[in-house]
Amino acid sequence: MVATATKAEDQSQFGQTVIEGKNVTKVFGETVTALEGANFDIRAGEFISLVGPSGCGKSTLLRLVAGLIEKTSGDVKVNDDLVTKPRTDIGMMFQKAVLLDWRTAIENVLLPSEMKHRISQEDKDKAMASLELVGLKGFEFHFPKQLSGGMQQRVALARLIQTGADIMLMDEPFGALDEFTRERLNVELMRIVGELKATTLFVTHNIQEAIYLADRVMVMTPRPGRIAEIIEVEFERPRDISIQTSREFNIIIEQVRDTLGSH
Amino acid sequence: MSYSTSQQTKNISIFKTLPFHLLIFAVLIVIWELTNLYGFEDQIQADMIAPRPTNIFLAMLDIFIIDKTVWKHLISTFQKALLGASIGTAIGMGLAIAATLSLTFRKYIKPWIILMEATPRIAVGPIFVALLGFGLWSAVALAALVAFFGPFVNTFQGLMEVDEEAEEMFRSLGASRFQTFWKLRFASAMELISAGWKLATASAFGGALVAEFIQASEGMGVLIAQYVIMITMDYAFAGLLSVTIFGFILFKIMDYFDYRLIFWKNDYLLLKESEKRRKKAGIV
Repeated sequence: MVATATKAEDQSQFGQTVIEGKNVTKVFGETVTALEGANFDIRAGEFISLVGPSGCGKSTLLRLVAGLIEKTSGDVKVNDDLVTKPRTDIGMMFQKAVLLDWRTAIENVLLPSEMKHRISQEDKDKAMASLELVGLKGFEFHFPKQLSGGMQQRVALARLIQTGADIMLMDEPFGALDEFTRERLNVELMRIVGELKATTLFVTHNIQEAIYLADRVMVMTPRPGRIAEIIEVEFERPRDISIQTSREFNIIIEQVRDTLGSH
Repeated sequence: MSYSTSQQTKNISIFKTLPFHLLIFAVLIVIWELTNLYGFEDQIQADMIAPRPTNIFLAMLDIFIIDKTVWKHLISTFQKALLGASIGTAIGMGLAIAATLSLTFRKYIKPWIILMEATPRIAVGPIFVALLGFGLWSAVALAALVAFFGPFVNTFQGLMEVDEEAEEMFRSLGASRFQTFWKLRFASAMELISAGWKLATASAFGGALVAEFIQASEGMGVLIAQYVIMITMDYAFAGLLSVTIFGFILFKIMDYFDYRLIFWKNDYLLLKESEKRRKKAGIV
C-alpha cells in the first residue's frame, strides 16, 4: 500500500484500503487550482473528516472520489478501480436534503432502487427499515414539506443507506441545521455508520464536529487547496458527546487551528 | 413570459365582499336599463347601442331554453377550442422538450420562435380559412396556433430551471439521462407546465372564436356575428354573455385540475394525499 502521512500500525483496526488518492490535482478553467497534489489512503470502516475554510478544496476532493467531476492529474482509486464516473458502491449526501417534493419520504428513499430495477416488495421493506434506522418510523408517508429540516436530512440519509453503498460521501450534510439538531444527528450518524460498518468521508467546516466524528481528520488549507495535515483521533467508540469538553479533545482542536492558522 | 396562479387564497374574504359586488352589479344594470328607456330619443337607436338588460335576459332564456339555438354553437366552439388547445399543447411541449434536450435544435429553432412571437397570430386566421375551408379544421388550426405558445414557453422554462444539487444527486445515484429527465426535470417542471395548459385553453378559446368571426358555418363566433348583422343586439349580447359564462366555467375547471395535480403546493391536499398513500400501502 501507499505510504501516507499517517503510520500504518494506527490503522490496524480497519480493513483494506478502499479509497486512494495519489497526487490528485484539480484545476478549474485555466488558473483556479481547487486541489493540489492530494495524497490519501482511506481504509474500510474508517470515518474521515475533511475540515477547512471555504475554497480549501474539500468539496472538490469529495466530488473527485464520487466521480462527479474529473481530475486534472493524479489518480483516484476506489476499491482498486480508477474512478471515472459515479459508482454504485458510493452513496452521497449533500448540504441540502434534495428531496423530491411530490414524493413521500419512503418514495424518496426508494429512488436509488428505482434507478436499478423495478421496485420489489424487498426494496420497500428495506426502505421501511432504512427509515426506521434513521429514526423516522411513522413518518414514511409524510411529504418533505411536512417534515422539519433535520427530518429531511434523515430522509436523505435513509436514501443513502438504501443505495446499499458501503462508502458514504457527505458534503456538509448538517451544515444548514441548527446547533441542537446538528449535535443530535451527529450522534445518530456515528451509531448508524458503525452499524453499517461503512467507510465515510465527511466534509465540514466545523472543527468540533470533524473531530468528534472522525478516526482521522484531514485538515485542508486554501489557495491552492491542499491537505495540510492528517490528525489521528483516538477516542474509543461509541463516543459520548461529553468527550468534546475533555482536555485531549481540546488539544486536537488547537492542533487543527494551528495548522489552519499557519497558512 | 411564464404564468402561474395562487389559488384558494381569498375564499373567506369573498363572502364578506360579495354583497357589495352584487350591489354594484345591480346598480349598473339599473342605470343601463334606465339609459335605454330614457337616454335616447329613438328607441331603435337605444336598442342598438344599449339593449335593455331585461331583453338580454329574455334572449338568454330563448337561446338556452326555448329555442335552444345556442347549444349547438357552444358545443362547436368548445370542440374547436379543446382540439386546438390539445394540438397546440402537444406541438408546443414537443418542441420545448426537443429544445431542452438538444442544443443544436435549440439554436436552430430560436429565430423561428422569435419570428412567430412577432407575428400577430390572429392575423394568420384568414389564410387558414383559405387553406382549410370554412369547417372545423381552419378554426382548430388557428386555435392551435395561438395555444401553442404558452405550453412551449412554460415547458421550456420549467425543464431548463433544474435544481443543480438535485441533478448532482441523480448523477451520484447513477441515473440514466432518461431517468433524470422524467423523474427529476419533467416532474419539477410540472408546475409551470400545468400553468401552460391553462394558458393554452384560454388562448385557444379566443382563437376559435376569432376563426369563427372570420368565416365558419357554426360556432359562437358565427352566432354572435349573425345576431349583429340582423341588428338583434340583445341576442348578440346574450351570445357574448354565454361565451363569458362558459369560458369562465372552462377556466375554473382548468384551475381545479391544476390545483389537484400540483398537490404538493397545498398543505391541505398534502395531508390528504399523505393519508391516501399510507392507506394504499396497507399501513394505518
